[in-house]
Amino acid sequence: MKLEGVDEALVAAAQAGSTEAFSRLVDRHQQAVRAFLRRACGDWALADDLAQESFLTAWDRIGRLKAGASVRAWLCGIAYRKHLTARRSAVRSRIREQAYEAERPACDGGRPEDRLALEAAMAELPADQRACVALCLAADFSHAEAAEALALPLGTVKSHVTRGRARLLSMLGVEDDVR
Amino acid sequence: MTSADDHLKTLFAHHEPPARDPAFATAVMERMARRRCLQDLGLLAGISSVGGAALWGLWPVVQPVLTALSGQLAPTAVALTVALSAVAILTGQFPWRTGEAA
Repeated sequence: MKLEGVDEALVAAAQAGSTEAFSRLVDRHQQAVRAFLRRACGDWALADDLAQESFLTAWDRIGRLKAGASVRAWLCGIAYRKHLTARRSAVRSRIREQAYEAERPACDGGRPEDRLALEAAMAELPADQRACVALCLAADFSHAEAAEALALPLGTVKSHVTRGRARLLSMLGVEDDVR
Repeated sequence: MTSADDHLKTLFAHHEPPARDPAFATAVMERMARRRCLQDLGLLAGISSVGGAALWGLWPVVQPVLTALSGQLAPTAVALTVALSAVAILTGQFPWRTGEAA
C-alpha cells in the first residue's frame, strides 16, 4: 500500500473513533510537524509542546479532514496556527527549554556556529516567510502543499520562498549559484 | 537543486527530530486520555447536577408516587442499578460513548 493509502486508511479509522489509528498517525507525522515548528519558532521545547497541542486539536477535528487530503499539510496547517497564537500571546517559560537543551543529544547538522547562524538568520525573517522557507526549503513541501497548509495564496508562498531563500543565503554568506 | 540549496538543507537537518519517537507519541496519547477523562468527569458532574436539581424541584410531586410504589419497585431498581454499574465499570462501556472504539 502507498504511503498516502496508509494515511487514508488510518484517517478513516481515526474518524470512526480509533485512538490506535490516531496514535499511528501521530507516529508517522510527528517528525514533519515537530521539525516544521522548530524551524518556524526556533524554540525547541515550545515547538514540541505546540506539536503535542496540534495533535490534540487534530484529534478533535479529524472528522473535518476530507478524504484524499494531505495529512501532513493539514497537520502543519494546524501547527502553524498554534504557533501564531503562541507567538501573539508570548507567555511561555524558558526554563523548560534550557533543561531540554541541556538534555538533548548533539546532532550532526554541520558546525555549531553554522547552526547558530542559521537560527539567527531564520529569526530575522517575518513569520509567514519563515514558515514558507521551513516547509518548502527544509521539508520539501511543494509550493501548492505549503499554500494549503498555511492558508496563503500560491503566489505569496512562491515569493516568500524566493525572498526568504535569498535573505538566508545573504545572511549566511553563501553564494547563490542560481543567478 | 543547487549547492546553495544543499548547504541550506544540511544546516536545516539539525532541526529534524527522529523518524520514530515513541516517547512523543505516548505523551500525545496520555494528554488525550487525560483530557477525555476530564471531559467525562465534567459530563458526569453536569448530569448529576441537572439530575439533582430536577429531583429537588420535582420532589413534592415525585415523593408521594415513590412512596406508593417503593414497596414493589425497590428490589428491582436496586438490582438494575447494581447490574448497570457493574457492566459500566467492568467493561468501560458508557452509553454516551457509543460511537467510539478502543
